[in-house]
Amino acid sequence: MANRSGAQRPNGTQGKICQFKLVLLGESAVGKSSLVLRFVKGQFHEYQESTIGAAFLTQTVCLDDTTVKFEIWDTAGQERYHSLAPMYYRGAQAAIVVYDITNQDTFGRAKTWVKELQRQASPNIVIALAGNKADLANKRMVEHDEAQGYAEENGLLFMETSAKTAMNVNDIFLAIAKKLPKNEQVTGAGTSGQGRRLVESEGQQKAPGNCCK
Amino acid sequence: MARSCFSKVDEYGFERPDDFDYETYEDFMSQYLIVLAKRAKKWAELIGEGKSLKRNLTVKRYVRKGIPGEHRGLVWLTVSGAEALRDEWGSDFYQKLLNGPMNQDIVDIVRTDLPRTFPDNIFFSAGENHQQQLYNILVAYAHDNHEVGYCQGLNYIAGLLLLVTKSEDTTFWLLKVLVERIFPNYYTRTMDGVITDIDVLDELIRLKIPEVHRHVASVGLPWAVITTKWFICLFAEVLPIETVLRIWDCLFYEGSKIIFRVCLTLVKRNQGSILQCKDFSSLAECFKEITRDSLVIECHDFMQSIFKVPGSLPLNLIVKLRTRLAQQRQNQMRSDRVWTWHIP
Repeated sequence: MANRSGAQRPNGTQGKICQFKLVLLGESAVGKSSLVLRFVKGQFHEYQESTIGAAFLTQTVCLDDTTVKFEIWDTAGQERYHSLAPMYYRGAQAAIVVYDITNQDTFGRAKTWVKELQRQASPNIVIALAGNKADLANKRMVEHDEAQGYAEENGLLFMETSAKTAMNVNDIFLAIAKKLPKNEQVTGAGTSGQGRRLVESEGQQKAPGNCCK
Repeated sequence: MARSCFSKVDEYGFERPDDFDYETYEDFMSQYLIVLAKRAKKWAELIGEGKSLKRNLTVKRYVRKGIPGEHRGLVWLTVSGAEALRDEWGSDFYQKLLNGPMNQDIVDIVRTDLPRTFPDNIFFSAGENHQQQLYNILVAYAHDNHEVGYCQGLNYIAGLLLLVTKSEDTTFWLLKVLVERIFPNYYTRTMDGVITDIDVLDELIRLKIPEVHRHVASVGLPWAVITTKWFICLFAEVLPIETVLRIWDCLFYEGSKIIFRVCLTLVKRNQGSILQCKDFSSLAECFKEITRDSLVIECHDFMQSIFKVPGSLPLNLIVKLRTRLAQQRQNQMRSDRVWTWHIP
Protein backbone atom coordinates (compact mmCIF):
# COMPACT_ATOMS: atom_id res chain seq x y z
CA MET A 1 0.00 0.00 0.00
CA ALA A 2 1.33 3.40 -0.82
CA ASN A 3 1.93 5.72 2.02
CA ARG A 4 3.08 9.27 2.25
CA SER A 5 5.15 9.13 5.36
CA GLY A 6 7.81 11.24 3.70
CA ALA A 7 10.77 9.01 4.41
CA GLN A 8 14.04 10.83 4.68
CA ARG A 9 17.65 9.83 4.46
CA PRO A 10 18.41 6.68 6.44
CA ASN A 11 20.48 6.88 9.58
CA GLY A 12 21.35 3.26 9.61
CA THR A 13 18.94 2.38 12.37
CA GLN A 14 15.75 2.16 10.34
CA GLY A 15 15.13 0.17 7.19
CA LYS A 16 16.73 0.91 3.87
CA ILE A 17 15.60 3.82 1.75
CA CYS A 18 15.88 3.77 -2.01
CA GLN A 19 15.13 6.49 -4.47
CA PHE A 20 14.24 5.82 -8.08
CA LYS A 21 13.45 7.94 -11.06
CA LEU A 22 10.38 6.72 -12.94
CA VAL A 23 8.98 8.06 -16.20
CA LEU A 24 5.51 7.61 -17.73
CA LEU A 25 5.26 7.42 -21.50
CA GLY A 26 2.44 6.77 -23.91
CA GLU A 27 0.04 8.31 -26.41
CA SER A 28 -1.98 11.39 -25.53
CA ALA A 29 -5.08 10.84 -23.37
CA VAL A 30 -4.38 7.23 -22.38
CA GLY A 31 -4.38 8.19 -18.71
CA LYS A 32 -0.75 8.77 -17.71
CA SER A 33 -1.51 11.77 -15.51
CA SER A 34 -4.57 10.04 -14.09
CA LEU A 35 -2.50 7.02 -13.04
CA VAL A 36 -0.05 9.32 -11.30
CA LEU A 37 -2.80 11.35 -9.64
CA ARG A 38 -4.42 8.13 -8.37
CA PHE A 39 -1.11 6.79 -7.10
CA VAL A 40 0.13 10.00 -5.50
CA LYS A 41 -3.07 11.61 -4.22
CA GLY A 42 -5.68 8.86 -4.42
CA GLN A 43 -7.81 11.06 -6.66
CA PHE A 44 -9.40 10.81 -10.08
CA HIS A 45 -10.70 13.55 -12.34
CA GLU A 46 -12.95 12.58 -15.22
CA TYR A 47 -11.32 15.33 -17.27
CA GLN A 48 -7.66 15.54 -16.45
CA GLU A 49 -5.90 18.56 -17.96
CA SER A 50 -3.57 17.75 -20.84
CA THR A 51 0.06 17.72 -19.70
CA ILE A 52 2.42 20.14 -21.39
CA GLY A 53 6.13 19.34 -21.19
CA ALA A 54 6.07 17.17 -18.10
CA ALA A 55 4.90 17.17 -14.51
CA PHE A 56 7.01 16.10 -11.55
CA LEU A 57 5.66 14.34 -8.48
CA THR A 58 6.99 12.09 -5.78
CA GLN A 59 5.50 9.21 -3.84
CA THR A 60 6.88 6.76 -1.34
CA VAL A 61 5.96 3.11 -0.95
CA CYS A 62 6.98 0.65 1.73
CA LEU A 63 8.22 -2.75 0.81
CA ASP A 64 9.11 -5.02 3.75
CA ASP A 65 12.02 -3.24 5.40
CA THR A 66 12.66 -0.95 2.46
CA THR A 67 11.19 2.44 1.73
CA VAL A 68 11.09 3.23 -1.95
CA LYS A 69 10.75 6.83 -3.01
CA PHE A 70 9.64 7.34 -6.60
CA GLU A 71 10.52 10.55 -8.39
CA ILE A 72 7.90 10.51 -11.09
CA TRP A 73 8.06 12.30 -14.42
CA ASP A 74 4.70 12.37 -16.12
CA THR A 75 5.25 13.37 -19.75
CA ALA A 76 3.17 14.92 -22.52
CA GLY A 77 1.77 12.38 -24.96
CA GLN A 78 1.39 14.22 -28.24
CA GLU A 79 3.73 12.94 -30.93
CA ARG A 80 5.46 16.28 -31.44
CA TYR A 81 6.61 16.33 -27.83
CA HIS A 82 8.57 13.18 -28.62
CA SER A 83 11.85 15.04 -29.13
CA LEU A 84 11.69 16.20 -25.50
CA ALA A 85 11.14 12.71 -24.08
CA PRO A 86 14.79 11.55 -23.87
CA MET A 87 15.35 14.30 -21.33
CA TYR A 88 12.92 12.54 -19.03
CA TYR A 89 13.78 8.89 -19.61
CA ARG A 90 17.55 9.27 -19.60
CA GLY A 91 18.80 8.17 -16.24
CA ALA A 92 15.40 6.72 -15.31
CA GLN A 93 15.50 3.40 -13.50
CA ALA A 94 11.90 2.60 -14.29
CA ALA A 95 9.27 3.41 -16.89
CA ILE A 96 5.57 2.78 -17.18
CA VAL A 97 4.45 2.68 -20.78
CA VAL A 98 0.71 3.27 -20.88
CA TYR A 99 -1.91 2.47 -23.50
CA ASP A 100 -5.68 2.63 -23.53
CA ILE A 101 -7.36 -0.80 -23.84
CA THR A 102 -10.16 0.77 -25.88
CA ASN A 103 -7.80 2.08 -28.55
CA GLN A 104 -5.63 -0.21 -30.67
CA ASP A 105 -3.48 2.67 -31.99
CA THR A 106 -2.32 3.52 -28.50
CA PHE A 107 -1.10 -0.06 -28.07
CA GLY A 108 0.97 0.29 -31.23
CA ARG A 109 2.39 3.53 -29.92
CA ALA A 110 3.23 1.83 -26.61
CA LYS A 111 5.26 -0.81 -28.49
CA THR A 112 7.21 1.98 -30.18
CA TRP A 113 7.99 3.50 -26.79
CA VAL A 114 9.16 0.14 -25.46
CA LYS A 115 11.47 -0.26 -28.43
CA GLU A 116 12.88 3.21 -27.96
CA LEU A 117 13.47 2.62 -24.25
CA GLN A 118 15.20 -0.68 -24.92
CA ARG A 119 17.47 1.02 -27.40
CA GLN A 120 18.14 4.34 -25.76
CA ALA A 121 17.38 4.30 -22.03
CA SER A 122 19.56 2.83 -19.30
CA PRO A 123 20.25 -0.84 -20.05
CA ASN A 124 18.84 -2.03 -16.72
CA ILE A 125 15.66 0.02 -16.83
CA VAL A 126 12.60 -1.77 -15.45
CA ILE A 127 9.74 -1.32 -17.88
CA ALA A 128 6.10 -1.91 -17.03
CA LEU A 129 3.29 -1.93 -19.56
CA ALA A 130 -0.05 -0.63 -18.30
CA GLY A 131 -3.29 -1.25 -20.20
CA ASN A 132 -5.32 1.56 -18.70
CA LYS A 133 -9.07 2.28 -18.71
CA ALA A 134 -9.74 -1.36 -17.81
CA ASP A 135 -13.08 -0.21 -16.39
CA LEU A 136 -14.24 0.32 -19.98
CA ALA A 137 -14.16 -3.42 -20.72
CA ASN A 138 -17.21 -3.21 -23.01
CA LYS A 139 -15.24 -0.98 -25.37
CA ARG A 140 -12.14 -3.13 -25.29
CA MET A 141 -10.07 -3.19 -28.49
CA VAL A 142 -6.82 -4.64 -27.14
CA GLU A 143 -7.06 -8.17 -25.77
CA HIS A 144 -5.50 -8.87 -22.42
CA ASP A 145 -3.70 -11.96 -23.72
CA GLU A 146 -2.23 -10.14 -26.69
CA ALA A 147 -0.68 -7.51 -24.44
CA GLN A 148 0.41 -10.10 -21.90
CA GLY A 149 2.10 -12.13 -24.63
CA TYR A 150 3.88 -9.07 -25.95
CA ALA A 151 5.01 -8.13 -22.44
CA GLU A 152 6.38 -11.61 -21.77
CA GLU A 153 8.32 -11.66 -25.04
CA ASN A 154 9.89 -8.35 -24.13
CA GLY A 155 10.50 -8.95 -20.44
CA LEU A 156 8.08 -6.28 -19.27
CA LEU A 157 5.88 -6.19 -16.22
CA PHE A 158 2.28 -6.07 -17.32
CA MET A 159 -1.02 -5.14 -15.72
CA GLU A 160 -4.32 -3.80 -16.87
CA THR A 161 -5.15 -0.80 -14.73
CA SER A 162 -7.93 1.65 -14.09
CA ALA A 163 -7.07 5.06 -12.72
CA LYS A 164 -10.82 5.58 -12.35
CA THR A 165 -11.50 2.60 -10.07
CA ALA A 166 -7.91 2.43 -8.73
CA MET A 167 -7.63 -1.16 -9.96
CA ASN A 168 -3.99 -2.29 -10.04
CA VAL A 169 -2.65 1.25 -9.75
CA ASN A 170 -0.72 0.87 -6.51
CA ASP A 171 0.03 -2.70 -7.54
CA ILE A 172 1.89 -1.76 -10.69
CA PHE A 173 4.08 0.72 -8.83
CA LEU A 174 4.69 -1.87 -6.11
CA ALA A 175 5.58 -4.52 -8.67
CA ILE A 176 8.14 -2.11 -10.13
CA ALA A 177 9.49 -1.32 -6.67
CA LYS A 178 9.95 -5.05 -6.04
CA LYS A 179 11.77 -5.58 -9.28
CA LEU A 180 14.18 -2.67 -8.92
CA PRO A 181 17.62 -3.59 -7.65
CA LYS A 182 18.08 -2.38 -4.09
CA ASN A 183 21.59 -3.47 -3.24
CA GLU A 184 23.65 -1.33 -5.46
CA GLN A 185 24.05 2.25 -6.29
CA VAL A 186 21.34 2.90 -8.79
CA THR A 187 20.95 6.59 -9.32
CA GLY A 188 22.29 8.74 -12.08
CA ALA A 189 25.79 8.12 -13.24
CA GLY A 190 25.64 4.46 -12.29
CA THR A 191 23.47 3.91 -15.31
CA SER A 192 26.19 4.33 -17.91
CA GLY A 193 27.23 7.35 -19.79
CA GLN A 194 24.16 7.90 -21.89
CA GLY A 195 22.55 11.30 -21.90
CA ARG A 196 25.34 13.71 -22.01
CA ARG A 197 22.98 16.58 -21.81
CA LEU A 198 21.49 16.00 -18.42
CA VAL A 199 20.63 14.18 -15.26
CA GLU A 200 23.99 12.68 -14.66
CA SER A 201 23.61 13.13 -10.97
CA GLU A 202 20.71 13.65 -8.67
CA GLY A 203 20.29 14.60 -5.06
CA GLN A 204 21.19 11.24 -3.64
CA GLN A 205 24.51 11.42 -5.39
CA LYS A 206 25.61 13.65 -2.58
CA ALA A 207 26.11 10.45 -0.62
CA PRO A 208 27.17 8.01 -3.27
CA GLY A 209 26.22 4.43 -2.82
CA ASN A 210 24.06 5.00 0.19
CA CYS A 211 20.84 4.13 -1.51
CA CYS A 212 20.25 0.97 0.41
CA LYS A 213 22.79 0.68 3.13
CA MET B 1 -8.72 35.36 8.68
CA ALA B 2 -12.40 35.98 8.17
CA ARG B 3 -14.07 34.60 5.07
CA SER B 4 -12.89 36.45 2.06
CA CYS B 5 -14.91 39.00 0.19
CA PHE B 6 -13.65 37.31 -2.98
CA SER B 7 -15.76 34.56 -4.46
CA LYS B 8 -14.67 30.98 -5.10
CA VAL B 9 -14.63 31.78 -8.81
CA ASP B 10 -12.45 34.54 -10.22
CA GLU B 11 -13.54 37.10 -12.80
CA TYR B 12 -12.38 34.86 -15.67
CA GLY B 13 -14.43 31.91 -14.43
CA PHE B 14 -11.65 29.90 -12.80
CA GLU B 15 -12.44 28.18 -9.55
CA ARG B 16 -9.93 29.20 -6.95
CA PRO B 17 -8.04 26.22 -5.54
CA ASP B 18 -8.76 25.03 -1.99
CA ASP B 19 -5.41 26.31 -0.79
CA PHE B 20 -5.87 29.74 -2.40
CA ASP B 21 -4.20 32.38 -0.27
CA TYR B 22 -7.05 34.88 0.14
CA GLU B 23 -5.10 36.96 2.62
CA THR B 24 -2.20 37.69 0.29
CA TYR B 25 -4.61 38.23 -2.56
CA GLU B 26 -6.70 40.71 -0.60
CA ASP B 27 -3.65 42.66 0.45
CA PHE B 28 -2.59 42.84 -3.15
CA MET B 29 -6.01 43.69 -4.56
CA SER B 30 -6.59 46.53 -2.11
CA GLN B 31 -3.64 48.27 -3.74
CA TYR B 32 -4.12 46.99 -7.27
CA LEU B 33 -7.71 48.22 -7.54
CA ILE B 34 -6.42 51.75 -7.13
CA VAL B 35 -3.91 51.17 -9.93
CA LEU B 36 -6.62 49.68 -12.14
CA ALA B 37 -8.92 52.66 -11.61
CA LYS B 38 -6.13 55.06 -12.47
CA ARG B 39 -5.12 53.11 -15.58
CA ALA B 40 -8.74 52.83 -16.75
CA LYS B 41 -9.04 56.61 -16.68
CA LYS B 42 -5.77 57.07 -18.59
CA TRP B 43 -6.76 54.54 -21.23
CA ALA B 44 -10.17 56.11 -21.64
CA GLU B 45 -8.44 59.36 -22.48
CA LEU B 46 -6.08 57.63 -24.86
CA ILE B 47 -8.56 55.70 -26.93
CA GLY B 48 -11.87 57.37 -26.18
CA GLU B 49 -14.20 58.99 -28.67
CA GLY B 50 -13.09 57.67 -31.98
CA LYS B 51 -9.37 58.16 -31.38
CA SER B 52 -7.38 55.53 -33.18
CA LEU B 53 -4.63 53.58 -31.49
CA LYS B 54 -1.17 53.52 -33.00
CA ARG B 55 2.11 52.00 -31.94
CA ASN B 56 4.22 54.70 -30.29
CA LEU B 57 6.22 55.20 -27.12
CA THR B 58 3.27 56.46 -25.12
CA VAL B 59 1.18 53.43 -26.00
CA LYS B 60 4.10 51.13 -25.26
CA ARG B 61 4.45 52.70 -21.83
CA TYR B 62 0.72 52.39 -21.23
CA VAL B 63 0.79 48.76 -22.28
CA ARG B 64 3.59 47.99 -19.85
CA LYS B 65 1.44 49.40 -17.06
CA GLY B 66 -1.44 47.12 -18.02
CA ILE B 67 -4.35 47.25 -20.45
CA PRO B 68 -7.79 47.43 -18.79
CA GLY B 69 -9.69 44.17 -19.21
CA GLU B 70 -12.46 45.67 -21.32
CA HIS B 71 -9.98 46.98 -23.92
CA ARG B 72 -7.61 44.04 -24.03
CA GLY B 73 -8.97 42.29 -27.11
CA LEU B 74 -9.04 45.46 -29.16
CA VAL B 75 -5.62 46.73 -28.06
CA TRP B 76 -3.98 43.33 -28.54
CA LEU B 77 -5.42 43.18 -32.07
CA THR B 78 -4.06 46.59 -32.95
CA VAL B 79 -0.61 46.61 -31.40
CA SER B 80 0.27 43.06 -32.46
CA GLY B 81 -0.55 43.58 -36.10
CA ALA B 82 -3.33 40.98 -35.97
CA GLU B 83 -5.82 43.53 -37.18
CA ALA B 84 -3.67 44.39 -40.19
CA LEU B 85 -3.36 40.68 -40.88
CA ARG B 86 -7.14 40.31 -40.82
CA ASP B 87 -7.53 43.24 -43.20
CA GLU B 88 -5.02 41.59 -45.51
CA TRP B 89 -6.71 38.16 -45.52
CA GLY B 90 -10.25 39.39 -45.46
CA SER B 91 -12.69 39.68 -42.60
CA ASP B 92 -14.58 36.54 -43.66
CA PHE B 93 -11.43 34.41 -43.74
CA TYR B 94 -12.12 32.69 -40.43
CA GLN B 95 -15.68 31.89 -41.35
CA LYS B 96 -14.56 30.45 -44.69
CA LEU B 97 -12.14 28.14 -42.92
CA LEU B 98 -14.93 26.88 -40.71
CA ASN B 99 -17.09 26.19 -43.73
CA GLY B 100 -14.35 24.25 -45.49
CA PRO B 101 -13.77 20.48 -45.44
CA MET B 102 -12.37 19.04 -42.21
CA ASN B 103 -9.65 16.47 -41.68
CA GLN B 104 -10.97 13.77 -39.35
CA ASP B 105 -7.66 13.23 -37.54
CA ILE B 106 -7.51 16.88 -36.56
CA VAL B 107 -11.14 16.89 -35.51
CA ASP B 108 -10.52 13.86 -33.27
CA ILE B 109 -7.39 15.15 -31.62
CA VAL B 110 -8.93 18.54 -30.88
CA ARG B 111 -12.08 16.91 -29.52
CA THR B 112 -10.01 14.82 -27.13
CA ASP B 113 -8.46 17.92 -25.63
CA LEU B 114 -11.63 20.01 -25.36
CA PRO B 115 -12.96 18.67 -22.05
CA ARG B 116 -9.36 18.62 -20.81
CA THR B 117 -8.95 22.37 -21.29
CA PHE B 118 -9.68 24.40 -18.17
CA PRO B 119 -12.04 21.79 -16.67
CA ASP B 120 -12.21 23.93 -13.53
CA ASN B 121 -13.41 27.01 -15.40
CA ILE B 122 -17.14 27.60 -15.33
CA PHE B 123 -17.19 28.80 -18.95
CA PHE B 124 -15.51 25.62 -20.16
CA SER B 125 -17.28 23.03 -18.06
CA ALA B 126 -19.73 20.84 -19.92
CA GLY B 127 -22.68 22.54 -21.53
CA GLU B 128 -21.05 25.94 -21.83
CA ASN B 129 -20.51 27.20 -25.34
CA HIS B 130 -16.85 28.13 -24.86
CA GLN B 131 -15.98 24.50 -25.58
CA GLN B 132 -17.67 24.67 -28.95
CA GLN B 133 -16.07 28.03 -29.72
CA LEU B 134 -12.64 26.73 -28.73
CA TYR B 135 -13.21 23.72 -30.95
CA ASN B 136 -14.00 25.99 -33.89
CA ILE B 137 -10.92 28.13 -33.35
CA LEU B 138 -8.49 25.24 -32.97
CA VAL B 139 -9.86 23.28 -35.90
CA ALA B 140 -9.96 26.33 -38.14
CA TYR B 141 -6.40 27.21 -37.24
CA ALA B 142 -5.13 23.67 -37.77
CA HIS B 143 -6.62 23.73 -41.27
CA ASP B 144 -5.22 27.17 -41.98
CA ASN B 145 -1.69 26.29 -40.94
CA HIS B 146 -0.78 22.77 -41.99
CA GLU B 147 2.76 23.08 -40.75
CA VAL B 148 1.48 23.56 -37.21
CA GLY B 149 -1.81 21.72 -37.28
CA TYR B 150 -2.85 21.22 -33.69
CA CYS B 151 -0.20 21.41 -30.98
CA GLN B 152 -1.15 20.69 -27.38
CA GLY B 153 -0.70 23.91 -25.48
CA LEU B 154 -2.53 25.95 -28.09
CA ASN B 155 -5.75 24.84 -26.39
CA TYR B 156 -4.74 26.77 -23.27
CA ILE B 157 -3.58 29.82 -25.22
CA ALA B 158 -6.67 30.00 -27.42
CA GLY B 159 -8.85 29.19 -24.40
CA LEU B 160 -7.47 32.09 -22.44
CA LEU B 161 -7.69 34.44 -25.43
CA LEU B 162 -11.33 33.44 -25.73
CA LEU B 163 -12.01 34.10 -22.05
CA VAL B 164 -10.57 37.59 -22.43
CA THR B 165 -11.94 38.60 -25.82
CA LYS B 166 -15.20 36.61 -25.78
CA SER B 167 -14.91 36.50 -29.57
CA GLU B 168 -13.99 33.54 -31.78
CA ASP B 169 -12.87 35.72 -34.64
CA THR B 170 -10.63 37.95 -32.49
CA THR B 171 -9.16 34.89 -30.80
CA PHE B 172 -8.38 33.28 -34.14
CA TRP B 173 -6.41 36.30 -35.38
CA LEU B 174 -4.56 36.76 -32.12
CA LEU B 175 -3.66 33.08 -32.13
CA LYS B 176 -2.44 33.36 -35.70
CA VAL B 177 -0.24 36.32 -34.93
CA LEU B 178 1.22 34.64 -31.85
CA VAL B 179 1.98 31.37 -33.58
CA GLU B 180 3.26 32.76 -36.88
CA ARG B 181 4.82 36.11 -36.10
CA ILE B 182 5.71 36.34 -32.44
CA PHE B 183 6.72 32.71 -31.83
CA PRO B 184 7.51 31.17 -35.22
CA ASN B 185 8.56 27.49 -35.05
CA TYR B 186 7.36 27.04 -31.47
CA TYR B 187 4.35 24.91 -32.33
CA THR B 188 5.51 23.11 -35.45
CA ARG B 189 6.00 19.34 -35.53
CA THR B 190 9.62 19.52 -34.39
CA MET B 191 9.09 22.42 -31.98
CA ASP B 192 12.53 23.72 -32.90
CA GLY B 193 11.73 27.28 -31.86
CA VAL B 194 10.88 26.26 -28.31
CA ILE B 195 13.94 24.06 -27.97
CA THR B 196 16.19 26.83 -29.27
CA ASP B 197 14.67 29.45 -26.99
CA ILE B 198 15.12 27.19 -23.96
CA ASP B 199 18.79 26.91 -24.92
CA VAL B 200 18.91 30.70 -25.26
CA LEU B 201 17.46 31.08 -21.78
CA ASP B 202 20.00 28.59 -20.43
CA GLU B 203 22.77 30.71 -21.92
CA LEU B 204 21.27 33.99 -20.65
CA ILE B 205 21.10 32.57 -17.13
CA ARG B 206 24.72 31.44 -17.45
CA LEU B 207 25.70 34.98 -18.45
CA LYS B 208 23.51 36.94 -16.07
CA ILE B 209 23.03 34.74 -13.00
CA PRO B 210 26.07 32.44 -13.10
CA GLU B 211 25.77 31.25 -9.51
CA VAL B 212 22.29 29.89 -10.11
CA HIS B 213 23.36 28.37 -13.40
CA ARG B 214 26.22 26.48 -11.76
CA HIS B 215 24.03 25.32 -8.91
CA VAL B 216 21.18 24.06 -11.08
CA ALA B 217 23.69 22.28 -13.32
CA SER B 218 25.32 20.61 -10.32
CA VAL B 219 21.95 19.34 -9.10
CA GLY B 220 21.35 18.01 -12.59
CA LEU B 221 18.03 19.59 -13.43
CA PRO B 222 17.93 20.71 -17.09
CA TRP B 223 16.39 24.11 -17.78
CA ALA B 224 14.21 22.47 -20.40
CA VAL B 225 12.58 20.33 -17.74
CA ILE B 226 11.82 23.43 -15.70
CA THR B 227 10.71 25.79 -18.41
CA THR B 228 9.17 23.84 -21.33
CA LYS B 229 5.67 24.61 -20.16
CA TRP B 230 6.56 28.26 -19.48
CA PHE B 231 7.51 28.70 -23.13
CA ILE B 232 4.83 26.56 -24.76
CA CYS B 233 1.92 27.96 -22.77
CA LEU B 234 3.38 31.47 -22.57
CA PHE B 235 2.80 31.17 -18.82
CA ALA B 236 -0.89 30.26 -19.12
CA GLU B 237 -1.56 27.52 -16.56
CA VAL B 238 1.77 28.43 -14.98
CA LEU B 239 1.44 31.86 -13.36
CA PRO B 240 -1.62 33.51 -11.78
CA ILE B 241 -4.09 34.61 -14.43
CA GLU B 242 -3.85 38.36 -13.93
CA THR B 243 -0.06 38.13 -14.17
CA VAL B 244 -0.31 36.08 -17.37
CA LEU B 245 -2.53 38.71 -18.96
CA ARG B 246 -0.18 41.50 -17.98
CA ILE B 247 2.65 39.51 -19.59
CA TRP B 248 0.57 39.01 -22.72
CA ASP B 249 -0.12 42.77 -22.87
CA CYS B 250 3.62 43.26 -23.33
CA LEU B 251 4.07 40.19 -25.55
CA PHE B 252 1.60 41.45 -28.10
CA TYR B 253 3.35 44.80 -28.21
CA GLU B 254 7.02 43.93 -27.74
CA GLY B 255 7.31 40.36 -28.93
CA SER B 256 8.98 37.20 -27.74
CA LYS B 257 11.80 38.74 -25.77
CA ILE B 258 9.32 39.49 -22.99
CA ILE B 259 9.29 35.76 -22.24
CA PHE B 260 13.02 35.89 -21.48
CA ARG B 261 12.54 38.91 -19.24
CA VAL B 262 9.89 37.06 -17.26
CA CYS B 263 11.98 33.88 -16.95
CA LEU B 264 15.10 35.79 -15.89
CA THR B 265 13.14 37.81 -13.35
CA LEU B 266 11.60 34.68 -11.85
CA VAL B 267 15.00 33.07 -11.50
CA LYS B 268 16.85 36.13 -10.29
CA ARG B 269 14.31 37.28 -7.72
CA ASN B 270 14.19 33.75 -6.30
CA GLN B 271 17.85 32.95 -6.42
CA GLY B 272 18.09 32.67 -2.65
CA SER B 273 15.56 29.87 -2.42
CA ILE B 274 16.88 28.18 -5.58
CA LEU B 275 20.39 28.06 -4.16
CA GLN B 276 19.10 26.49 -0.96
CA CYS B 277 17.72 23.44 -2.75
CA LYS B 278 20.34 20.76 -2.52
CA ASP B 279 18.65 17.98 -4.46
CA PHE B 280 16.65 17.31 -7.57
CA SER B 281 13.23 16.91 -5.90
CA SER B 282 13.41 20.03 -3.77
CA LEU B 283 14.63 22.07 -6.71
CA ALA B 284 11.78 20.83 -8.91
CA GLU B 285 9.34 21.71 -6.12
CA CYS B 286 10.95 25.11 -5.69
CA PHE B 287 10.38 25.95 -9.34
CA LYS B 288 6.69 25.06 -8.91
CA GLU B 289 6.46 27.20 -5.79
CA ILE B 290 7.97 30.33 -7.34
CA THR B 291 5.25 30.40 -10.00
CA ARG B 292 2.50 30.92 -7.42
CA ASP B 293 3.91 32.87 -4.49
CA SER B 294 3.17 36.47 -3.57
CA LEU B 295 5.92 37.77 -5.81
CA VAL B 296 4.01 36.72 -8.93
CA ILE B 297 0.54 37.34 -7.51
CA GLU B 298 1.49 41.00 -7.16
CA CYS B 299 1.40 41.40 -10.91
CA HIS B 300 1.87 45.16 -11.09
CA ASP B 301 5.08 45.11 -9.10
CA PHE B 302 6.22 41.97 -10.89
CA MET B 303 5.70 43.52 -14.32
CA GLN B 304 7.63 46.61 -13.34
CA SER B 305 10.47 44.40 -12.16
CA ILE B 306 10.79 42.47 -15.42
CA PHE B 307 12.10 45.63 -17.06
CA LYS B 308 14.68 46.24 -14.33
CA VAL B 309 15.78 42.98 -12.73
CA PRO B 310 17.29 41.19 -15.74
CA GLY B 311 19.19 44.30 -16.86
CA SER B 312 19.84 45.06 -20.48
CA LEU B 313 18.52 42.53 -22.97
CA PRO B 314 18.93 43.80 -26.51
CA LEU B 315 17.03 41.98 -29.22
CA ASN B 316 20.17 41.49 -31.27
CA LEU B 317 21.72 39.48 -28.43
CA ILE B 318 18.74 37.13 -28.47
CA VAL B 319 18.84 36.88 -32.25
CA LYS B 320 22.55 36.10 -32.18
CA LEU B 321 22.13 33.46 -29.49
CA ARG B 322 19.25 31.88 -31.35
CA THR B 323 21.29 31.54 -34.50
CA ARG B 324 24.35 30.18 -32.73
CA LEU B 325 22.53 27.73 -30.48
CA ALA B 326 20.24 26.44 -33.22
CA GLN B 327 23.32 25.79 -35.33
CA GLN B 328 25.07 24.03 -32.45
CA ARG B 329 22.05 21.82 -31.92
CA GLN B 330 21.93 20.92 -35.60
CA ASN B 331 25.59 19.93 -35.51
CA GLN B 332 25.04 17.97 -32.32
CA MET B 333 22.13 16.07 -33.86
CA ARG B 334 24.21 15.28 -36.91
CA SER B 335 27.08 13.92 -34.84
CA ASP B 336 24.64 11.99 -32.62
CA ARG B 337 23.28 10.31 -35.71
CA VAL B 338 26.75 9.26 -36.78
CA TRP B 339 27.48 8.14 -33.24
CA THR B 340 24.31 6.06 -32.96
CA TRP B 341 24.99 4.56 -36.33
CA HIS B 342 28.24 3.04 -35.16
CA ILE B 343 26.79 1.49 -32.03
CA PRO B 344 25.92 -2.15 -32.69
